[in-house]
Amino acid sequence: MSAQVLGSTSFERPRWLRILEPLGPLAAAFALAALVLFAAGHNPIDVYTLLAVEAFGSSRRIAATLSAATPLILTGLATAVAFRAGAFNVGVEGCIFVGGLAAATVGFTFVGLPAALLLPLALVAAVLVGSLWMLVPGLLKARLDVDEVVTTLMLNFIAISLTAWLVNGPLLAPGSANSATPMIADAARLPKLMPPSTLNAGFLIAIALLGLYALWGNRTALGFETRLAGMNARFAAASGINVPMLVIKMMLLSGAIGGLAGGIHALGNVGRFVAGFSPGYGFTGIAVALLGRGSALGIFLAALLFGALANAGATIQFFSDVPIEIVDILQGTVMVFAVAQLGWIFVRRRASA
Amino acid sequence: MQAAEEKPDPSIRLGARGVTRRFGPVLANDAIDFRARRGTVHAIVGGNGAGKSTLMRILQGVDRPDSGVILLDGAPASFAGPAEAFARGVGMVHQEFMLAPGLTLIENLILASEPADGFGRIDRAAALAKARELEALAGVSLDWDTPVEDAPVHVRQIVEILRLLYRGADVLILDEPTAVLAPAQVRELIALLRKLRDEGRTILFISHKLDEVLAVADEITVIRNGRVVDSLPRSSASREGLAEMMIGEVLARPEPRAATAGTPVLEVAGLSARDLRGHAALSGFDLTVRAGEIVGIAGVAGNGQDEIAASVTGLCRIDAGTIRLAGADIAGQTLAQRRSAGLAYLSPDRAAEGLCLAAPIAENAIAGHHRRPDLCSRGVLRRKAIARHVGDLLDRYSVKRASDRQPAGSLSGGNQQRVVVARELDGDPKLLVACQPTRGVDIRGIDFIHRCLLEYRDKGGAVLLVSEELEELVALSDRIVVVYGGRITGEVMRGSAGLEEIGRLMLGGRQG
Amino acid sequence: MMIDNVIHAAVVMTTPVLLAALGGLINRVGGLVNIGLDSMMLAGALFGLIVASMTGSWPVALLAAAAAGGVVGLAMSLAVTRLQANEIIVGLGFLVAVAGLVRFFLSSAYGSSGTLSLPDVARLPRIDIPFVADVPILGAILSGHDPLTWAAWAMVPITVWFLARTRLGLRLRAVGAAPQAARALGLNPLALRDLSTVYAGVMSGLAGAYLSIGVVGIFNEGITAGRGFIALAAFYFGRNRPWATATCALLFGFFDAFQIRMQGRGIPAELVQTLPYVMVIVVLTAVAVAGRRARARRP
Repeated sequence: MSAQVLGSTSFERPRWLRILEPLGPLAAAFALAALVLFAAGHNPIDVYTLLAVEAFGSSRRIAATLSAATPLILTGLATAVAFRAGAFNVGVEGCIFVGGLAAATVGFTFVGLPAALLLPLALVAAVLVGSLWMLVPGLLKARLDVDEVVTTLMLNFIAISLTAWLVNGPLLAPGSANSATPMIADAARLPKLMPPSTLNAGFLIAIALLGLYALWGNRTALGFETRLAGMNARFAAASGINVPMLVIKMMLLSGAIGGLAGGIHALGNVGRFVAGFSPGYGFTGIAVALLGRGSALGIFLAALLFGALANAGATIQFFSDVPIEIVDILQGTVMVFAVAQLGWIFVRRRASA
Repeated sequence: MQAAEEKPDPSIRLGARGVTRRFGPVLANDAIDFRARRGTVHAIVGGNGAGKSTLMRILQGVDRPDSGVILLDGAPASFAGPAEAFARGVGMVHQEFMLAPGLTLIENLILASEPADGFGRIDRAAALAKARELEALAGVSLDWDTPVEDAPVHVRQIVEILRLLYRGADVLILDEPTAVLAPAQVRELIALLRKLRDEGRTILFISHKLDEVLAVADEITVIRNGRVVDSLPRSSASREGLAEMMIGEVLARPEPRAATAGTPVLEVAGLSARDLRGHAALSGFDLTVRAGEIVGIAGVAGNGQDEIAASVTGLCRIDAGTIRLAGADIAGQTLAQRRSAGLAYLSPDRAAEGLCLAAPIAENAIAGHHRRPDLCSRGVLRRKAIARHVGDLLDRYSVKRASDRQPAGSLSGGNQQRVVVARELDGDPKLLVACQPTRGVDIRGIDFIHRCLLEYRDKGGAVLLVSEELEELVALSDRIVVVYGGRITGEVMRGSAGLEEIGRLMLGGRQG
Repeated sequence: MMIDNVIHAAVVMTTPVLLAALGGLINRVGGLVNIGLDSMMLAGALFGLIVASMTGSWPVALLAAAAAGGVVGLAMSLAVTRLQANEIIVGLGFLVAVAGLVRFFLSSAYGSSGTLSLPDVARLPRIDIPFVADVPILGAILSGHDPLTWAAWAMVPITVWFLARTRLGLRLRAVGAAPQAARALGLNPLALRDLSTVYAGVMSGLAGAYLSIGVVGIFNEGITAGRGFIALAAFYFGRNRPWATATCALLFGFFDAFQIRMQGRGIPAELVQTLPYVMVIVVLTAVAVAGRRARARRP
């Protein structure tokens, strides 16, 4: 299963088409969801308007949307980094779990440390653990050509079960019946940017990483090599690039960012680690990376879109009887359409001419 | 409707009239005409790149001609695809076999036309009876329950031929069928083909091996550069005559060059290596290329020349031997290390290995050089320097382009190859391994690339040239090493021998 | 008694995994790795329950579940074969979208969040075999199971036979192994692949119905508990061989029964749950190592 998913064969199409391209899957997904809404007796336009207002209607709502987008920026980034190298990593979800647990554990264990020390320590723990989590699939793909899709997919379930065990036993909060660690020390909490909103410094970290990603991809030798390896591994190897090593590096980096996403979620939003820690941020991250076509701006916009949907979806229930699940339907169909060759009819016609 | 210019002649089972097919600047088939009569073996011969494969694809309905028609039973016909060609009795044995792995031989035989009952249950007894019948026809005995991947290659070929018969094809197209066979198996194949012909089937035999063609064919059509040179009966064909037609007017022998070669740049000793499938391809191979010298490797495809190039570049692992570049052993080094030691490499597979077609020309032009201090400092690309460098480089090699940012895939084949040559000769490498440097390049491009290679040599560069174009080898090389079966069968100095001698060595003859 | 209980529970836990795994196996033989089996199970579980309540007939309910799974399978297959979308992403997308659709449907149509309990649900009957039922161990293995369990196990030899001995099975194998060659012979690889995905959907739909009207009697959004992925693990682990796949499904069924038994007895259920997934990674690695050795040994 080769992973020529990001920006694959679109080079013969004109520029305007390439820019508009991501809108195709969006339109298709929204149209399909509109059908579902319509069938359930809702007016799709009213629902979409309500969603937009709920997501962006006030500064408080915008803050909530940005807060919801934060983990998605990070998971989208984590996925894109691996995709770029031609590694089809679908294991970011698992990294969130192990990274989140690592950060939370540091956060409630070293309670005596000052924030300036504890916070970075907890985040570094998340990064390291997340990165290590991707070491095995990275090595297996690079050295033995073992399909990374299957290994990373399996590792998701292993991560979820493993962390569930840890928070049920060794790391269970004393006196607590549910599967959760103790709350982290206040010093380990990521500072809030706009209290009472949950928007926190994690958003700034995510934005900074997006910027670094853009620079790395466009300006650095390593980013250049990664892109070549992802687009054409044989060519990259013939140019003297050590492709297997690059794949390992990018899988580790992907895991690191995935772990960080978990760490930020633990330290910024949840305040501890609980079973069922991530509502599928890792999988949404795949949709984000695909829809954003692997570019920094694209990832940001796609994360914003899904963040807005999640955020608005959660509150429209208070104002209407539209089920929140419309957001999941949109997200899933966006994933499907993002990889579908919607223009295939035209392409085929041209090819056979 | 135009009146038929000629009356359909039903004795012509398969043929072509004015078949023309163009790929960009390359005219692969130029008004090809041939007529294969029913119950004969018709050979189509030509060197590599003569246009045989294109013609076969058209006859199979895989590709369609820009103009001209296929003739079936003497009348114009067109196939929507290989399935339709099959339905009308035309089947093909491909160079790379088309048997499905994981299936047994008999399953492959009956696939898509299985004897079965109303419930879709395969009638194994009927299938086996049919298989035995075909087996007897071919005069072989097969273990039909062997999985394809365990069957030797000549058995697979026989199964492919039998499958065509099973499906009722009476025109068999065989594309370079002997390329994978040992001499004894070639004789068996030829006997089988004769037998099939005697039973009234028509066989189209595509090859560049003249001895086999002369052994099996009733009629021979020679094509060169996409055109039919001549069609003649076997009785009036001779080996020499065919060779001359294949190669073209006998080239003026190149001027001998005064030996200006300097110190050894590449020294290969005792090299053994395997091909991609893990079979031995080279054993005990020795070779030296000196500064200011072009050494050509001649050989029929698949005789080890690809592995020589891959061993020197480090793209394949070697089993034994030493490889020295400018005196230093590089056998254990990565391609990156070899490149920084002065190696450059023109890949034979431009689209998959020589370029990244989806990436901008500029990026293709610096790949591999992108960490050079003038293009990159501390891991950060120097974009202005790169833009300037790329612009100069591409101008120097006259790459026709709208922008340096346009994808390499949007260039013509010739311009693509100019980008590759520009990149590889950039930075004054010590050794250039050039594989099929002008494959799919138009005439002007070929000329330009040849001049680049000669200029590079004159400045003291060493070139290891692997090419399937004999003319190219003869025109450029100071020395030609001929390989057969992974060993050197002879060495020819510039101007000392003709194509005929090289051709003989390529077919395994010893140097006299 | 304790052993009997575990064995009986293991057989029960095996059935849904086995059904979905046999479907996924056929799908993979046909050339499509189906990540979305879980979504088809979910659809089957929901519609099986609804129809079981509406009609009061379990066979009709199973038909409805099979149809629901098949429709999801067809939609997924068309996205892959006709829109040339990456099968992994499409699979993941279907997991998300179908889960959303199911919950959306539940809250729109029943006003319930995630759980659906209906009156008069026709449950799968249990087939008690006289005398055998009283034999220790053997009784637990053979007696007290429903028709779907028997059907699932009957499908194992049928799958072997289908792949080896029927026209369709042969063509499916050819299409999966060498689509180009199959096309050259006049077969239609895309249509055959679609067919195999629909079959995977039907089998997964039945697996889902087994959970809703066979085991629990109600539906909730987490009813599949990732069994579609366990099924994926089973046919990966079984390397497309029906008996090996069934053995893996049984093994996973035992893990499942075992971890339910062991809850609160010191052996952490969560760790037992990871075993199927760990085993898949181990097998893939072992196969890759063996393949590399084989290549290196060639003369």
